[in-house]
Parts: sequence; C-alpha cells; structure tokens
Amino acid sequence: MRFFDMLRTALLNLWRRKLRAFLTVLGMVIGTTSIVVMVSLGVGIRQATIDSYASIGSLTNITVMSYKWTESPDGMGGTSTEVRLDKKSVEAFKQLPGVVAVMPRIEAWGILKCGKYYADISILGIDSDVADKFGITLSEGEYPQYKGGTTYELVLGSQTLSNFYDPKTWKPAVDRDGNPKVTKDTRIQLTFDYNNMYGEGGYGTDGEAVQKGKLYRINPVGILDESNNDFSWYCLMDLEALKKLAKENSTFISIDTSKYQQVTVKCADAKSVKDVKDAIDAMGYGTNSLQDALDAAEKNMKQIQYLLGAIGGVSLLVAAIGIMNTMMMSIYERTKEIGIIKVLGCRMSNIAGLFLSEASFIGLFGGAAGIGLSYLLSGVLNKFIGDVGFKSIIPPYLAFGAVAFSILVALASGIYPALRAMRLSPLTAIRND
Amino acid sequence: MEAIRKSDAVPAIDIRNVTKVYKVGSVEVNALRGVSLKIEQGEICCIVGRSGSGKSTLLNVMAGLEPVTSGEIVIANKHMERMTQSELIVFRQKHVGFIFQSFNLLPYYTAVENVAFPLSFRGVLPNKRNKLAREMLKEVGLESHMNHKPTQMSGGQQQRVGIARALVTNPDIVFADEPTGNLDSSTSDEVMHMIVDTLRKHNRTLVMVTHDPNMAEYADRVIHLLDGRIVKIENKQ
Repeated sequence: MRFFDMLRTALLNLWRRKLRAFLTVLGMVIGTTSIVVMVSLGVGIRQATIDSYASIGSLTNITVMSYKWTESPDGMGGTSTEVRLDKKSVEAFKQLPGVVAVMPRIEAWGILKCGKYYADISILGIDSDVADKFGITLSEGEYPQYKGGTTYELVLGSQTLSNFYDPKTWKPAVDRDGNPKVTKDTRIQLTFDYNNMYGEGGYGTDGEAVQKGKLYRINPVGILDESNNDFSWYCLMDLEALKKLAKENSTFISIDTSKYQQVTVKCADAKSVKDVKDAIDAMGYGTNSLQDALDAAEKNMKQIQYLLGAIGGVSLLVAAIGIMNTMMMSIYERTKEIGIIKVLGCRMSNIAGLFLSEASFIGLFGGAAGIGLSYLLSGVLNKFIGDVGFKSIIPPYLAFGAVAFSILVALASGIYPALRAMRLSPLTAIRND
Repeated sequence: MEAIRKSDAVPAIDIRNVTKVYKVGSVEVNALRGVSLKIEQGEICCIVGRSGSGKSTLLNVMAGLEPVTSGEIVIANKHMERMTQSELIVFRQKHVGFIFQSFNLLPYYTAVENVAFPLSFRGVLPNKRNKLAREMLKEVGLESHMNHKPTQMSGGQQQRVGIARALVTNPDIVFADEPTGNLDSSTSDEVMHMIVDTLRKHNRTLVMVTHDPNMAEYADRVIHLLDGRIVKIENKQ
C-alpha cells in the first residue's frame, strides 16, 4: 500500500466519525495549548530575567582581576593569589578569539574646584578608541583625549555638576530653582590634595604653596549619559593622562600605574563569554561576569520551566488517553472491516500504518489547532498581565516543537490499538451476523 | 478447455489429510476429520453439506484464514500450513480472490472505489486502479452504477461489485462463501451465471461453499461433506 493511499484512507476513516474525531482532536488541542501556554510563561520569565541582568550591565563583559581566589578543598575558605595584570596581559587578552575589545580600568579619586565650590569625584581612565564598545555613552560632548600640556580633558559624570558644594557651609552649589551654579563652561580645576580644600586661605591659585598638591586645569569635553548604570557616577579621563597625574601625585593617591587592578574584556556575544572567561581563568587571573550570575539564575529558571511544562503535560496525558480510547473504540467497531481488508490482502504493516496514521492526524490537527489557540491565549494573557514584569512568549521552536510533540504523543498512544488491529483474525470477515 | 484441465498434472489446490479441531471451552470439536482433495486449475468446484458439516472450515483453511490442526494444503507449490499470517496475506494478494455471502463492501466507498480497494494494497496507483476497476465493473454489467454507494444498490448489484472486486486482482483461485446466501432465487441464478461465466472466460479456479443444491448445478464437481468427511464426489461433466 502506498504511503499516500494510507494517509488518504486514514483521513477518510477519521472523517467518517467526524464528531468523535473532533472531540478527540479537541482533547489534543487543550493538551497542547496548556503545555505551550505554561512553557511560554516560563520563557517569558526567563526573558525578563535576562533583560533585567542586561540592564544591570553588559552581559558580554568579563571583569579580570589581578587577584585570583582559590577555594580550599574543604570549601570553608581559600587563598587569594596575586597575578600581574599589565599591558602585556591586555595584549594577550586581545588575541583571544571572541574578544572584541579590552580596557584596563584605572580609577583615582580627586577634587574638582570651581571658585569656592568643590566636588569629590571618582575618575576612570578610559581608552577613547574602545570606550563606546563598553557602553560608556555620553549625553553630550566627546570622549576625553590626552593632547599633552597642562590642560586635561575630562568628561563629567551625569551628576557631577550638581555635586559641587561649599566646604565651609556644606551648602550645595545650586540656585533657587535647584539648577547647579557650576556649569561646563566655568573654570574648573582638579586636585588630588585635600589640603587645597581646607588649607590656609583655601582659595589657592595655580602653583601656590609647594607642599600642597598641584591644581590642574580641566577642560570639560562632555557629560556622561545618566542612564548608564555602570559608569554614570564616574568622571572620565584618558588612561595615559590619568596615569601621568597619578604618578605626579603619588604622595596623595597611591596607585601603582605600572599594573592594573582590573581589566574589562568585551566579548563578541554572550555565547563566547564562557570560552573567553575559561581562557583567561587558565592564564591564572580571577574573572567574573554577569553571565555567571545569569547562568545560576537560568538553572533555577529551567526548573520553573520543567514544572510549568509538567503541569501543562497532565492535560496532554489525559488527551493521549483519550486518543487511545477513541482508537480502541474504532477498532472494536471496525473488527469486521479490518477482517475484510485482511482477506482482501491488506498487509499487517499497512493495517498498523492505517491506525498509526489516524492517530498521527489527530496529533497533527490537535497540535496545529493548539498552537493557534496558544497564540490567541498568549495575546489575551499579555494584555491582562502586562504589568507583572513578564510576558507569555511563544518562540518558533516552541510552536514547532509542540506540534511535533503532540504528533509523537498521539503516535505513541496509537501503538497499542494498532497492534490490536494487526492481531485481529481475518475470520471476522466471514462471520455473518 | 476440458482437455487442458484433464492434462494439467499439477493440481491448483492439493489438500492432503487435513484435520481441524476447535476447542470450545474444554470440549474438542472435530470440524474436519481427514479431508483429501485435489482441485484443478479452471475447475468450478462446489462444496455442499449441512450446517456443521465443516464446509466453511474447509474453505477457510484453503484460503489460509485459519490454520489446520494437521495435514497439508499445497497451492501453487506452496505449503499454506507452513506460512505465517503475513506470508498468508501476501499469498492472498497474489493468488486469491474472495466473494462473501454478505458482500462485505465498504459502505462509504463507491462501486469503483470498492473494486479498486484491493489494488491499493498492492501499490497500484489511483489512476490505474480506477481504470482496472471500471473495466471489471463493465464486465459484470454495472457500467451504470460505477459511482453508486453500496446502499444505493440492490443485493444482486452489490454481489456483482463483490465479484468484480474478487476478480480485479487477476487471482488464480476464487473462494466464494455462500455467494448467493443473501439473494432471492432469481437474482441468485443471475449472479451464479455471472460468476461462472466470468471465471470460465478467464480460466480461473472457483471453490464455492453452499447449502443450496440448485447452486451446485453450476459446478463441474460437487463435493459432499458430512461431519468433517467427504462422503460423495459428484462429477457433473
């Protein structure tokens, strides 16, 4: 019997008992829908989690530290070992496959001075060539460069201008409307020495008092983007410029500029993070990335998804039993017919094939209609639960997978009835009742 | 044709000392108690007997629908008693046609589709099998009822569809189990004529079971069965 003939005959057999076929298919529709909608919620929760992690910081960043924490075998403690992290390591990281950019991270603390107002700032040294790759975005202006000389380009943090205050009165430097009195265009100086703030006179000018830290002229070239969680509270300066300043002010801030405490490595995509991280780990550095936390969260998420899938699966199981019941019924009804086609020369495998095709059709129709219903339900659900923080998402793989799965389940529940049909005696055709 | 039949050395069906015992609960019923029979190619053979004589059982074991308890059945040099169910089905596909008492047409198919159905099991493509089915229906005189469903036809017409279905696969042997049992006497004669004429035309062997002595008139040979034994063989030639 040709495959096409078999499918056609099976379809016809279903069509002959429309209502029963419809009810059985309906069972499959409900089963498939319940699984798909449940899993779609799981997918939605997972997506929401990934999104929330991504909003904390970039998921493709790896932070490399000069200290590596080695847990002791009993898990009760550990030791940290220092590894030298310097220009050479940065070059080595750049060579790793999957790495897009590498940026050493040097931080310093300083004081901005503008007339009688001061502001404490953290300064981050950046490489302006790769800054945009690390999500350091400016709301205005451009990245700081070091052009030599005594004027240093600085990008102000998003709130820096509002942070100026008068150290004598502790009053913030804002006008009545709350707008900062210090603007980008005002003359601003930078120092690393607190004596400049409280020292005698307090209003020292350039080069005054040798024992006091030097005041540097600042050229504010931009302002950081406020929405940038990772960096918005920093002020930015060119890495080399900051190193130079740190060296000059080693009496006030002790930063070893020959090596780095931290290097940030940017990967091409989330998939390559693990490989790059493993490679850097193997070099002996300590690493961490948001991806680690996300991986742990995803493990939990998987369990939630399985749970949701299992809850939905119960109704699919019921539907599968429904299919089996329907098929058994139809075999009892068609005992004589099966006998006849056996006498007429229908092979055993064809008889089994006929019943399995019937079951698969139920699975196919049920699955396909179930997916349709799922999309509908998912849309309705999203309309009503829109504000709880996650949505019902049906990715294509879930839709196709669900149809395939429901066909598989239907096939499985058709196996026993098909075997029963195969075993029926052809003699039933001869009996006259 | 007579001459061909007589000179044919190998019989179409060779039954050797066949017995069949049914177990009904703990009681054993001997349906066949050692039947030996040779039926030749092209012969029209009729098995008659009272109900319970074992005639239907004999037909069933010949057609391989149930296994024998002992003895041998050789058709086309093949031992039926040694074949598995699957092999028997393939064997039936190749060699055997079947005409039933209650026609056993599939009610949701038209006459053409019913006749074409056995061809579908043999993998014949739809166009070809419908063409063959139409030709066969023409031969049994049903060209006007090709697309009727069984419920729209009389008993005689339905049995003609049954005959067409049995013959469409070109079988060597046709088994008929009380083919006129559900028909009135005038239709019975009409149908019997049809069966016998068509089979003789194609030189097919017919083994028919009946309890109607009138139907036995159409046969070359009549085998009388009683209590599972052959009691008389009538040669009508």
